[in-house]
Amino acid sequence: MVETRGGRARDGCLLSAAFPEHLVDWPVPPNPARSSFEASEYGGGRGVVVGTARLSCCCFEACSCVDVRRSVVRAAYFKPKAKPATAPAPPTPAPIRPVTLDAGAGPHEHSHPLCSALLPPISHPAFSITTTLRPSLFPHDKLLVPPLPFLRPIHRSLATLDLSGATSPGVNSPLRGKKDAEPEPEITPLVKMLQNAGPLREDGSDKFFGMENFGNTCYCNSIVQALYYSTPFRENVVKYPPHSPHDTPNGNRTPIVTPIRAPMQNGAVAPGKAKGISAAEAMKRRAAINSGQPAPPATGQRPEDKPDSPEYKKKHAMLAGPILDLTYENAASYGMEESTFTALKDIFMAMIANSSRTGVLSPQRFLEIFKRDNEMFRTSMHQDAHEFYGLVLNAVISNVEANAQRMKELDSAQNDPNSAYKSALTSSAMAMGLISGTGTRSPGTGWVHDIFEGTLTSETKCLTCETASQRDETFLDLSIDLEEHSSVTSCLRKFSAEEMLCERNKFHCDNCGGLQEAEKRMKIKKLPKILTLHLKRFKYTEDMTRLQKLFHRVVYPYHLRMFNTTDDAEDPDRLYELYAIVVHIGSNAYHGHYVSVIKTQDRGWLLFDDEMVEPVDKHYVKNFFGDKPGQACAYVLFYQETTVEAMRKEQEAEGLAEVTLATQEADVALGKTQTNGLTKHQSIPSQPVDTIHEHASLDHAVSSPLPTSPGVAPPPAAPLTPAAPHVPILEPAKPKSKADKEREKKELKEAEKARKQAEKDKIKADEQRRKDLANTRKERTKAEEEEIKRALAASKQTAEDEEKRKLAEGGSANGAAKENGHAQKAIGSLSRAHTVSKSMSRKSFGFLGGGKKSEAKEESTAVEGDSGPQTPEKHSKATKDRFSFSLGRKKSNLFPS
Amino acid sequence: MFVLPPPPRYPSQQAYNNAVANGQAAPMIETNNILSHPTGPEYQLVVGEGTYILKEDLHLATPPPHPSEAPIINPNPLATTPQPATAGTKISLLSFSSRALIPQTLYKVDTNRSATGVSSSIQEHPSEGRASGEVAPSSDGGDTSVTGSARAALSIGSAPAFGEGNSMLVATGKDAGKRRKPKNNIAKSNSSFISRCIVHENLTKRLQDRPADGYFAFANINRAFQWLDLSSSQKAEHLTKILFTKGHCLCHDVNQLTKSSSHIDLIMGFSTGEIIWYEPITQKYTRLNKNGIINTTPVSEIRWIPGSENLFLAAHMDGSLVVYDKEKDDAAFLPEEATNGTSEVTNGEIDPSAKLHVDKSVHSKNQKFNPVSFWKLSNQRINAFSFSPDNRHIAVVSEDGTLRIIDYLKEQLLDMYSSYYGGFLCVCWSPDGKYVLTGGQDDLVSIWSVAEATIVARCQGHQSWVTAVCFDPWRCDDRNYRFGSVGEDCRLLLWDFSVGMLHRPKALSVRQRGSISSRFANPLQRAETQNTVASRLRSNSSLSAVGDDEHTIEHPVEPRSNTAMLPPVMSKVIDPDPLCWLEFSQDSIMTSCKSGHIRTWDRPSDGTHDSEARSSLT
Repeated sequence: MVETRGGRARDGCLLSAAFPEHLVDWPVPPNPARSSFEASEYGGGRGVVVGTARLSCCCFEACSCVDVRRSVVRAAYFKPKAKPATAPAPPTPAPIRPVTLDAGAGPHEHSHPLCSALLPPISHPAFSITTTLRPSLFPHDKLLVPPLPFLRPIHRSLATLDLSGATSPGVNSPLRGKKDAEPEPEITPLVKMLQNAGPLREDGSDKFFGMENFGNTCYCNSIVQALYYSTPFRENVVKYPPHSPHDTPNGNRTPIVTPIRAPMQNGAVAPGKAKGISAAEAMKRRAAINSGQPAPPATGQRPEDKPDSPEYKKKHAMLAGPILDLTYENAASYGMEESTFTALKDIFMAMIANSSRTGVLSPQRFLEIFKRDNEMFRTSMHQDAHEFYGLVLNAVISNVEANAQRMKELDSAQNDPNSAYKSALTSSAMAMGLISGTGTRSPGTGWVHDIFEGTLTSETKCLTCETASQRDETFLDLSIDLEEHSSVTSCLRKFSAEEMLCERNKFHCDNCGGLQEAEKRMKIKKLPKILTLHLKRFKYTEDMTRLQKLFHRVVYPYHLRMFNTTDDAEDPDRLYELYAIVVHIGSNAYHGHYVSVIKTQDRGWLLFDDEMVEPVDKHYVKNFFGDKPGQACAYVLFYQETTVEAMRKEQEAEGLAEVTLATQEADVALGKTQTNGLTKHQSIPSQPVDTIHEHASLDHAVSSPLPTSPGVAPPPAAPLTPAAPHVPILEPAKPKSKADKEREKKELKEAEKARKQAEKDKIKADEQRRKDLANTRKERTKAEEEEIKRALAASKQTAEDEEKRKLAEGGSANGAAKENGHAQKAIGSLSRAHTVSKSMSRKSFGFLGGGKKSEAKEESTAVEGDSGPQTPEKHSKATKDRFSFSLGRKKSNLFPS
Repeated sequence: MFVLPPPPRYPSQQAYNNAVANGQAAPMIETNNILSHPTGPEYQLVVGEGTYILKEDLHLATPPPHPSEAPIINPNPLATTPQPATAGTKISLLSFSSRALIPQTLYKVDTNRSATGVSSSIQEHPSEGRASGEVAPSSDGGDTSVTGSARAALSIGSAPAFGEGNSMLVATGKDAGKRRKPKNNIAKSNSSFISRCIVHENLTKRLQDRPADGYFAFANINRAFQWLDLSSSQKAEHLTKILFTKGHCLCHDVNQLTKSSSHIDLIMGFSTGEIIWYEPITQKYTRLNKNGIINTTPVSEIRWIPGSENLFLAAHMDGSLVVYDKEKDDAAFLPEEATNGTSEVTNGEIDPSAKLHVDKSVHSKNQKFNPVSFWKLSNQRINAFSFSPDNRHIAVVSEDGTLRIIDYLKEQLLDMYSSYYGGFLCVCWSPDGKYVLTGGQDDLVSIWSVAEATIVARCQGHQSWVTAVCFDPWRCDDRNYRFGSVGEDCRLLLWDFSVGMLHRPKALSVRQRGSISSRFANPLQRAETQNTVASRLRSNSSLSAVGDDEHTIEHPVEPRSNTAMLPPVMSKVIDPDPLCWLEFSQDSIMTSCKSGHIRTWDRPSDGTHDSEARSSLT
């Protein structure tokens, strides 16, 4: 359904490739001696395991050398043409049946040679196989082999923070973080942007949640984010199923209470993340895994220590919270079976229902469900985001249809317990196009089709009898081949260019009655509302041994119209606007990281990098054409239909940001940077405040007292330390003009004063804190709140004091234009002062609490929600038992990515 | 202020290339330009009139980053810090000879437009007036009139000079006739903006020895700016190379009116928003818009106003067009209120006629300081503009996909067109001023008829964005036009179109043009932006609406089915890197790319064309 380019996309091929008994289906049978039966020569491995639900991670633990080499070959979600019926796997209700080739758990067991053929050359002596496959077996199609795991530290997840502690030499205790004075969470650009946002909207269009990475689940995060901001999709997910008496027997929909996990503690492990290995072991393993990689900056500096690093930002996103823990099952309240759809709906609903605009969402349950239904995603390896997208959409379609079927059956009072299952089967078959199900589609269930589905017409002209035949196919996205130095427009045109069907790819002409050479071209008959373009960046190398990534420069415009429509297409000049990009970062298909850059309804473009959400400017979108250093390329593009009027209106609104941005660029070019290394952000609040707060607040942040060292005077941090997240990398030393220097001096002085004041405040606060420590646990919460208030008030007080003082000073100072600029800059820092003191106090206490708790119950579950209901915990436990695999913390501890 | 020590120079481009290829940071060395003469079938362009052959490839050396900039070794691909603007190599050509003149006698045309009352004349200055060919202009100091020139006498009806009638603009006439130079010496500058200026040791000798009709080229690459002599045998050696500290020169232009063998007025626009007026022979310069006092945003395009000695127009990326006087000092700019009635915005509803906000008019009496005038088009980035051959209009294209035709003498927006989709990147006028070409992010070159205020054809053939378009005046006559285009797809495409062909739309014989006013008049339709059906209906209904007689400024997008599609006559990948500049000269086609390859393609040497061109000149 998703990939319907019959002639070109033959994802199904590999499916049969995985089964020796289906070699007969291959266009050219491979040499059996080379392909299927070699496995036994290597440690008596269990060549092929079909439909296994085995926890593939175990082999990681058993042998790090196997784990790098092990592989899973899988078919992408296959098309109607594929032969699912031939797969000897147990029938599952899922529309897509993956095939897993498992290397097995034993040490030095080898995977199926076919798999190894797809892997990079093996250096281990035990794996000196030179399997070759005939090139013709592998069409130039997206066919993903999972990556070598965790080769790059680029997307380490929050869950692995404690592990990274273990990597720094000599420190093995997971609690080592105590002595690290973590800077307080700064006010992030996102929070800053949202400062003056009005009341929360009900449709969830102004919710900006990061998503937790459980180790290589960025494929999920990036796609789910893109789907969430696909407005019609989100609306329909929220709306469906329509409220009906079946939903809840008492007629009331139970409100969703999402457990909120306590914010991650500094260095402390979230309880329940019992690791199967010691830190030292983990370290060794990591070293082994990383051996091929350039050593990380060794000097004990973790990536998240650098204030500008994504790791730092992600960590602080987790620290800031709230973290929505979606570990529960909520399907019953929708009156549906638990499925990918309900889990996705849970995510959307939780985001919409939460009172906070920002935070982190932990899509644990969703992934569990998804992995339950899709075996090849069960490993913790790098997965293909586009494939995931297709699977999720197909799952949503089949879930919705299954539900509709069930409702129908319920209505007709058939309470056969198997009917739901049967209907699920039928509908999944329908979704796969096995049954032409358009007629049977229940009303109100076709919304996924309405949004994403378009129609392709393939016109085939037999060159022998000149008969032209037409066939319509639906598509949910278009996979387009790329060329160097081209545009998406051009790639789309190529997509519709005439294609010769010849040699092995001949066309079966009904008229001539045989395989004939033919000309074929695909045109778009019906344009979808949301046009998803998959750029085929992963391609087999010449020798077909592995997938390479194409770093072609492919430009994509903000707006698009389709040239390749049929003559009878409705509204062939439909205008699309780009609203989301899924970006793949990495050198090949086997590892890397996904992020998404999404245009939100009225907050401009945002970068969603797992836990982190950050506003970016419009031109940032152009960074992923594929030619920039850093290996970041656009991989999936989402265009939605729009109108010229809407476009113009938006462009007018964009104007101001644009101007600010251009100015910023000019400033960068001029080398103008603020004295403290802060760069301006997009949204600059406009009330004037003096500069002094900037330093005062920074001080506040850097020298925040820690509960472990109460009463110790904070270290006299340099007030000009760049501590903001927006410091450009490797800030060069700037030539400073005299005026600048003078100004700096003045600021230094002022900052000194401010610091003294701040120190006093802090000593006071420390004492208060110690007292609180002595209090009982019950009282703690209350005290905490008080403290928050106090700290807030104190910082406000300080601010007022200083403002007064500065006002007096400012009277004498001449109000030049420069002053103006400074004042502007300072506002942000004032607000930061507030936030910092607030979160500081909360964090300090939270830390203590977390510490105690972790002592108290070392082996609690991964769910830490203090306030959450008990049921979700049980649920998650139960499900974990039910399924032999698990995802999330345990694993991600071992395999940070 | 401090002056940075000059970085060491190494002659080896190889070391540099190796390092870059290995993914290391570019070494801090400076390399020389390389001249090569690749031959072979891949370096030939086969067109109907013959074969264009690559004469030479001059590769400009990319300067190393400034010593104060630490090289970024492992860039974070997701870094959200804004990057300074940069541009591929563009070239300003300069010839003192009349040989470079474009044959004007070909054009006897009429750009009559009853609706706007534009005079029915065409100025003789073709192609942005860049080849007006006056060796020793005789016009007096600040007077911008072109009537003094011998060539203007030939013109049917000369356009008045920009700002004519404003006595404040006329220079005091103290030292009229004397060519004024910028103030500061660039070689001895201790400015923090200019890093170094490297002058060829034999500069004066080379200037004396060169043929009078040879081309000079001024080219930007990265943070460097080079002055090259294309007629020299040692053309790879720059005459002068200026290295700036951080600002990149994005655009530049030579004043064709004031040029002489002893004086060249050059202006450069920078990524910092600053502008430098530079006189390369005496190596003097003056900074304008210093520290962005007038406008802080990068300058994307800069051109001398045709026929003016002092005034030039700069497009800033915040969507403003600013006229500067090269000799005036800057003053902090505040929009002058109510100089023009068109800048009214009522109730958030923007009147289409107010799409040009005159923040300061050229007729303002306050002309002691820069800017001379200041027009705000939109808040979107202006990517390029071009002066019409009759010196009355400018065509301005922006990132938002609009083409604006502005009567800059009257400071009035005449027409506004939209791209099929995506932003416009380049624009140029036909030599007769009838047509405007645009290229953009829809991979199309669009031909617009100014007189008929409509799109004439879309030219499909590029495989990526079109970055430069240019007419070939030597292959144009009053009915047939040749133009070329280059793009991000590294391709050069040549196109032919004839007037007869153009007026035959593909699908419909009668073109129906919708008027934008009908769209704007219906608030209901505008509200339903999300509704598919409504949008479809609307776009259809707007198409069926017949444009009324009244001239409308904003023109809607023509559907594909109503517009003629033009195929190219030649399409070829001519460079490994995306191209960004194209120019036709009498002997050759010149192209340049993002990485600094300047390629010269000789015209077919069968002689027929040459004689044709010469006969047209006489």
